Amino acid sequence: MSDAQPLPGPLAGLRILELADETGQFCGKLLGDLGADVVKTEPPGGEPNRHIGPFLEDIPHPERSLSFWYYNTSKRGITLSLETADGRRLFRRLAATSDVILETFRPGFLASLGLDYESLRKQNPGLIICALTPFGQTGPWRDYASSDLLHMAAGGEMASCGYDEADVPNAPPIAPGGGNAWHMGCHFAYMAIMAALVYRTVAGKGQYIDASIHEACALTTEAAIANYIYRGEVLLRQTGRHHAARPTPRTQFRAKDGRYVCALVAGRLNPKYVGELADLLDSCGMAGDLKDPKYQDPAVIAANTSHIIDDLVANFIASLPAEEVYHAAQQRGFTWGAVRAPEALLDDAHLHDRGFWKEVEHPELGRSFVYPGEAAIYSGSPWRISRRAPLIGEHNTEIFCDELGLSRSELSVLAENRVI
Amino acid sequence: MSRPRALENVRVVDFSWVRAGPWATRWLGALGAEIIKIEWPENERGRLPSTTTPQNLEVNLNTSGNFNDTNVNKKSLSLNVRSAKGLEIVKRLIAISDIVIENFSSRVLQKWGLGYQELCKVKPDIVYVSMSGYGHTGRHHHYTTFGPVAQAVSGLTYISGLPDKPPAGWGWSYMDDTGGMYGAMCALTGLYHRNMTGQGQHIDLSQMVASVPLNGSALLDFTANGRGSRRAGYPPGNRTYWPGTPLVNNYRGPTVAPHNAYRTHPGEYNDWCVIVCHSDEEWRRLVQVMGAPSWAASSKFDTIVGRLQHQEELDDKIEAWSLTLRKYELTERCQAAGVRALPVQSAEDRVEHDPQLRHRQMYLAMEHPALGLHKVQNAPFKLSETPASNHLPSPLIGQHTQEIVEGLLGYSHEELRAGFAEGTFWPTKRARFPYMEEMLQ
Repeated sequence: MSDAQPLPGPLAGLRILELADETGQFCGKLLGDLGADVVKTEPPGGEPNRHIGPFLEDIPHPERSLSFWYYNTSKRGITLSLETADGRRLFRRLAATSDVILETFRPGFLASLGLDYESLRKQNPGLIICALTPFGQTGPWRDYASSDLLHMAAGGEMASCGYDEADVPNAPPIAPGGGNAWHMGCHFAYMAIMAALVYRTVAGKGQYIDASIHEACALTTEAAIANYIYRGEVLLRQTGRHHAARPTPRTQFRAKDGRYVCALVAGRLNPKYVGELADLLDSCGMAGDLKDPKYQDPAVIAANTSHIIDDLVANFIASLPAEEVYHAAQQRGFTWGAVRAPEALLDDAHLHDRGFWKEVEHPELGRSFVYPGEAAIYSGSPWRISRRAPLIGEHNTEIFCDELGLSRSELSVLAENRVI
Repeated sequence: MSRPRALENVRVVDFSWVRAGPWATRWLGALGAEIIKIEWPENERGRLPSTTTPQNLEVNLNTSGNFNDTNVNKKSLSLNVRSAKGLEIVKRLIAISDIVIENFSSRVLQKWGLGYQELCKVKPDIVYVSMSGYGHTGRHHHYTTFGPVAQAVSGLTYISGLPDKPPAGWGWSYMDDTGGMYGAMCALTGLYHRNMTGQGQHIDLSQMVASVPLNGSALLDFTANGRGSRRAGYPPGNRTYWPGTPLVNNYRGPTVAPHNAYRTHPGEYNDWCVIVCHSDEEWRRLVQVMGAPSWAASSKFDTIVGRLQHQEELDDKIEAWSLTLRKYELTERCQAAGVRALPVQSAEDRVEHDPQLRHRQMYLAMEHPALGLHKVQNAPFKLSETPASNHLPSPLIGQHTQEIVEGLLGYSHEELRAGFAEGTFWPTKRARFPYMEEMLQ
């Protein structure tokens, strides 16, 4: 390794003030990991979502929440009560030197404290505020209570996910887990913030962004909306595959090890594909009659679709472990994949080649932990986790004293009065 | 009257096809960038096959409804890039553009003579976003994906479903939508960096790899605690916890009950509501909304641990009540009392019945020359100075060939005609659309 300074990330030099709960913290991480100086501003005592598990070694503690750790990398942390006059004054000073404020308060909350966009931008015309809320700042649902599950319901995700009746009779619509409603909102919020930042490089002006998680979710069901708008169709839920207006052949098959393989075969069965499929199956002696020249006739293929999929492909996959099917198929050009549990990715050689996994130091614990890395490799301005999630108020002295010029004794008074 | 656009004067050369790439550039277009979609009818995926052509129209390259929604705000240049003339033309276009974006397999652009080094020769500060399945580096760069395969391999499919059942997965290409998000995010980030530093770069996005960080909490539970996701009670359906299994956090927020989908009146396919109580207080409010039934007074439901343990009974009782109400009525009653509840909404529900999306003008109609007047999905954010908008319907294939070749690149009309005759702008053996004949007048 050279001693040269590492290249800065693409967002180096930007200051983001993040006042975000579990709904918006991922957006701050996206910005921070790409080089922005994200200052996470928590209420005194810390964000409530520090109490969401899982916890390190199952010991509940606001500094041991793994979900908080994950979503708050590359941020500095301060505490500040906006419900105090001192807190609001400090907030205004921070806003004066920030490029972006990302906030997830209920609509109207900041304005009710006199911290509305118009007043903040008087002192900082380039300021961008992104308010990311469940339903946006206006509309009949704007004050509705929400959650990740609620967004997956109203956004349409659940209407598309579930089971074939034959697999699970009377199954409910299913909401995939992992907090993806928050991810969807944060992806769009990031996009809007970046658009505003690009515009600012040209026009010099900031702006206010009203972003809605509900709308982000409603936009993220691929062709479901188009199927309705153009054909009036409402789609069926199917096990492990696309929603559809009418039932479609299965694409998820059980492998020898009890795990599953996603094999997209139906809809692709032309003579060339069938020929290649016969070779793949034959490599394990499982081609059955598929090498018969009759399968070079599209009509014969069409008449035997169920035989090819439900007998030949299913039996082939059932004869091998899922990972073997996956690699054998991909090496021959088939767009198939093993259905893996997340932890299997730690053993993925391709991810290792890309340097995907990152060791992140937690100096207060004297340990480091492996974190997931970047979606994309930036050749000229790398993504990196610059630090683990901040401890509660970890950078209060650094930011309030070293940057804003408060004395240590003033800081103590603010702490005694629950301002920080 | 006309408002400035965030990406005014930004030009994007868009080689993308199918869904993920076009979904990325759609948003750059909505933000005001000029998107020039490079297409070739012999090698086209996105317009065809179409399952979203209205029943009264012929299926052809210009009648896919989903293509229209995915490709608004773009222009189309039909061009055979794999011909010497086509390559020359596209290089001239790149020389006056800001961003090149594509979602082919990892070596395609390089084979065409348009790898990043070549792009830099033409435009030194180009921002090049490649959106391949596995990325351009790593031993499996040549593997290919569709959304469902990226979801399977990355762990996203596995986290969706009921315990002891096959994975339910995602009923659509979530990672085409989300891959598109990352494509647009990468392009904007690269553009910002270029505006600040003058430096372009290659951004190597992988659809499969981009899926992995979406399981961050589960991955840290494994790397820090050694707890894998292949365990009893996981995934827990719509619940946070499956009764009778070890009590652990399942990565969907705080571990609480009720937290589930419940049938509503009249019990048809999409008649469901979800209800979540994050605290005892919220539970007591729900009890009031339900009319304080005697079963809910049982002490076993007083505590969070009790509600988690007795979740089967709890959910059955709630559903007996929820079946008496229509989903929007149930939603309004719960929300009025401060209880978290929303309906499961189909596409029809979102477009026709969701009062919030209607208020926010999520679906506004736009005229398309072949499809007619249809609603198109709008942006989920409102920028006060530079609002995103849908200002162009999706292009007919090759619709803007003359405008770009003659108007933007300065070729003569004779060169355009020669290009059509030689098969540079349209395959010589393929019937031309009437608007192409008009171009050649």
